[in-house]
Amino acid sequence: MNKKSSVLAAPYALWMLLFTVVPLGMVVYFAFWGENGFTLEYIKSIAETQYARPLGVSVWLGLIATVICLLLGFPIAYIISRAKGISQRTMVMLIMLPQWMNFLLRTYALMSLLENNGLINTWLRDVGLEPINIINTRAAVVLGMVYDFLPFMVLPIYSVLTKIDNRVTEAAQDLGANGFVVFRRIILPLSVPGIISGITMVFVPSVSSFIISQLLGGGKEMLIGDVIEMMFVHVEGGRNIGAALSLVLMALMLICMTLMNHFDDSEDVGGLMV
Amino acid sequence: MSETIISLRGVSVSFDGETVLDNLNLDIEDGTFVTLLGPSGCGKTTTLRIIGGFVKQDEGDVFFAGENINNVPPHKRKLNTVFQRYALFPHLNVYENIAFGMRIQKKPESEISAKVTELLKLVALEGFEKRSVNTLSGGQQQRVAIARALANDPKVLLLDEPLGALDLKLRKEMQIELKRIQHSLGITFLYVTHDQEEALSMSDVIVVMNHGIVQQIGSPTDIYNEPTNGFVADFIGESNIVDGIMYADCDVEFCGARMVCVDTGFAPMEEVDVVVRPEDVIVVPENEGDFTGTVLSSTFKGVHYEMIVDVPDQDEDWMIQSTVSQEVGSVIGMKVDPENIHIMKKYTGDYASDIDYTETVVE
Repeated sequence: MNKKSSVLAAPYALWMLLFTVVPLGMVVYFAFWGENGFTLEYIKSIAETQYARPLGVSVWLGLIATVICLLLGFPIAYIISRAKGISQRTMVMLIMLPQWMNFLLRTYALMSLLENNGLINTWLRDVGLEPINIINTRAAVVLGMVYDFLPFMVLPIYSVLTKIDNRVTEAAQDLGANGFVVFRRIILPLSVPGIISGITMVFVPSVSSFIISQLLGGGKEMLIGDVIEMMFVHVEGGRNIGAALSLVLMALMLICMTLMNHFDDSEDVGGLMV
Repeated sequence: MSETIISLRGVSVSFDGETVLDNLNLDIEDGTFVTLLGPSGCGKTTTLRIIGGFVKQDEGDVFFAGENINNVPPHKRKLNTVFQRYALFPHLNVYENIAFGMRIQKKPESEISAKVTELLKLVALEGFEKRSVNTLSGGQQQRVAIARALANDPKVLLLDEPLGALDLKLRKEMQIELKRIQHSLGITFLYVTHDQEEALSMSDVIVVMNHGIVQQIGSPTDIYNEPTNGFVADFIGESNIVDGIMYADCDVEFCGARMVCVDTGFAPMEEVDVVVRPEDVIVVPENEGDFTGTVLSSTFKGVHYEMIVDVPDQDEDWMIQSTVSQEVGSVIGMKVDPENIHIMKKYTGDYASDIDYTETVVE
């Protein structure tokens, strides 16, 4: 790196140091250092049910939310990428619009929709149907995750789909591929990078989400994000466990992302086998 | 050889109210190398895309081997396309790109493998099977695109400006290569280009198009030597095009001189375009010429000198190609043999604005 660019990079380096490296160092420190110096006690304690269960539930619900986002997001992205000019821009806008609203506010909005006496159930009663009991269930939590993170699935896939050269799909048709084969052999493999980053961008915040479960799940069942928050904020001396949990969660995410990226790389070979 | 493989009847198409093809009729004989030639926006690529099935004509019929294929989707047509800028599948290697069409037909692996090897040999890319297409040079990608399009044994290969993105030297090599491939396979090539030299050197038949209308169909020599109108003359090679008046059959006046020509069939005193190729102008001493002019510049072009000559009372300067250079500023005499004077009906368009290459690159 030459002198000029290192000068230009300095503010960024300082920023990274202050807000990424130092906090990360503190998390590692709290996770391994107790009152009596270095210890693995905190990491080990994660195996206890009170911590392991929320972790397991978080990963499970995050997984379900990610799968739903993918199943919903891909068709949406595909439809948007096929639309023309103004309608394409409008649809992208509609996808983005909720993101301009505060996350908490959005979740509250969803809560007031889903409540037993909320908007949806009021309507259902008005037309003479049975009200649905969804608030304070896992389904509501997953719905909240899907609602909040769906744009993160749609946008990367949309951006990859728009980059696929029209001539490439025409070439496939030219060589005898019908609509389904074009999708299966060309569009799907070429959109894998978008799918990967979409999955990562939905799965990671879903698993580590908090508040959603408290507001929509009724606080009956804590997710790992809530436990970490509780440990740091509400439990005296809980920050060591909180830090250990954060670290384990981070490690889990890293493993997931590495696996995903590996899948991405091996796609060339995967294409061969079909 | 004389069987018609593709036939267009009264094909018209317009995009956003703009007519792109106007009542196009075209017959392509089996086994020939046919080139659609014209400036950008002349409808040549659209013609190809209609035959390929990617554009639906508003009116008219497309026949393939005598069968109407108006409503046959692209993937069911027995012809293949080499696309502009290759359009290779970026996620597949060379082998899989070429094998794509055969895999869809569910051919056995042994057959696919043999065919890919054979095709790679045909396009001189042996040993490239496992390479990623993204690591290939433009010329190599082009060869893969050709091999891929040939893998399904098409009866007709459509080529849409396939050499447009290559540099001059590579383009010349690929021209020879394509001609060789067409010869050895004996199938029909329908080739689209705006490069007149490319068209002249490769084709059996050239179809010159402008504004969605066929201007002339003929062999390269016919097109070059006997252009039917000023547009064709101007587009194919360099031409001097001047105003003239036909006094009678074989009697024309242009540049202030009455000359003998070989053209007949014009009305007496009809205003015409007179076309003379730069290499057909004979330079003689001033007093021996039919008309005279002042040499403005002389540029060495390798095989000949190219001189720009100012002829009195003419809007446009003349271009002359000669192996002998004349001194700049000197006055020379010029003569043209009767058979080299080409008389044409007045062309009303503006040549210069019709020839616009810039658009073609962007498509």
